[in-house]
Amino acid sequence: MITAQALYIGFFGLAAVWFGIVVFRTFSMVRSALALLFSQTALGAMFLSMQAEFLGVLQIMMMATEMSIMAIFMVMFMMDPGGLGKMDMTHQKRLSLVAGIVSFVAAVAVAVFVDWGPIASVAPDAAQQTVDLGLELLGRSMLIFETAGITILTAMIAATAVAIPPVKRNPSKGTANHEH
Amino acid sequence: MTTALLLLLLAVGAYLVAVIEDWTTSGRFRLAAPAFAALALLGRESIVPRKSDRVFFETAPVLLLISALLAATVIPLTANLIITDLATGALFINAALVYVLVALLMAGWGPNGAYAMIGGWRFLGQLIAYAMLIVMPITAVVMRAESLLTTQIVVSQAGLWNIVYQPLGFILFFVASMALAFLPPFDLTTAKGELAGGVEAEYSGARLAVFRLGRLVLIITLAAAIVVFYLGGWQGPWLPPWAWSAIKILAVTTMMLLAGRYMPRIRETDLLGWCWMLGIPLALLNILLVGLLVLVLP
Repeated sequence: MITAQALYIGFFGLAAVWFGIVVFRTFSMVRSALALLFSQTALGAMFLSMQAEFLGVLQIMMMATEMSIMAIFMVMFMMDPGGLGKMDMTHQKRLSLVAGIVSFVAAVAVAVFVDWGPIASVAPDAAQQTVDLGLELLGRSMLIFETAGITILTAMIAATAVAIPPVKRNPSKGTANHEH
Repeated sequence: MTTALLLLLLAVGAYLVAVIEDWTTSGRFRLAAPAFAALALLGRESIVPRKSDRVFFETAPVLLLISALLAATVIPLTANLIITDLATGALFINAALVYVLVALLMAGWGPNGAYAMIGGWRFLGQLIAYAMLIVMPITAVVMRAESLLTTQIVVSQAGLWNIVYQPLGFILFFVASMALAFLPPFDLTTAKGELAGGVEAEYSGARLAVFRLGRLVLIITLAAAIVVFYLGGWQGPWLPPWAWSAIKILAVTTMMLLAGRYMPRIRETDLLGWCWMLGIPLALLNILLVGLLVLVLP
């Protein structure tokens, strides 16, 4: 039976896929980053449709900052951030195609073949979900959560370090000169 | 019905913000001035710059207005006068207001103008400065209320308002709210006299009117959020609850608009430095103190 909930999930799912495609259809780095943002926002809306209120709101909140920051990194690193020179954004086409198909099949296999246990017929109310999530994050899932956090922080520091021009020390003056 | 009433009140509030802003800048109290200014803007031609990113250029003013409106939906004016009392209300305010950044980035990148683009990227830096000072004080407020419901947060302040319970959080949240609404001295993103209006520079006519309306709604929403989080919301003696909400919100708005008039515009690097080296340690201290108070006090 198709319910309103299923319709919403389908709609936002399609929107997420469409914006994901738009990421590679545009030449502009900022458009690309913001298309990815709207793809992630649609995922957040899917969470909301599935009555996972806290996760949905959190996804919608976090992605806005993250994708905006990604936009400025893309503008900094790319030679043609505005896309006016028709730079080709895609490369290693065969490898990425194979990697994409393999990960898609793997993700679908995980979704279909994993024993998810009994499926709850009624979702707990939103306040209870927040409590449950907090206890989960500070208990069983703490190590995973913290590892992911540290990994992201390391990647951000490394990316910033790469973006800063190399400093050439001048021993005679004892000052640092930036080399461009 | 409630939704319509609250949207009407929000419109009236935004108009009053415009009157107060006019008063703080010109020194004259003119009730009709914003109406004339709006008419003038709507009457003018709305120019689209050459080689602009049309999608972003058109979306930005509307997105700014929508994100401020969405944040306003979870703010209670009385115990029942609220559009939707979400179980994640305190988080939702922040989630909606992050899209102010997305709107300003679009407004900066879209019109293909140097001043606008500098203004847009500046706001990204500004977000990195103020974002933690929005989230961390809210965390401390939520810790006391033991709920993300905005109505519950107001009820939790029945004995003692949060401005007394956690004054440090109030100061940080107030300053961060001013930075979020890009009010002086944090108006780096518009920076009149330096960036010629920054993200507003390339907008004119009806589009500029929507942009300015969005910012007015943003200011009143933030003032209402400060009232809900720190000033006991609708609580107060003698007067009815809605009157207390209105008085407090207008008082906070006036404070926000006046405070910046007597300070020079802050530099981007100074803002980042102070927020990260002073603000975030203070916000963490605030969380620690509130945590101890919650444990010690009944």
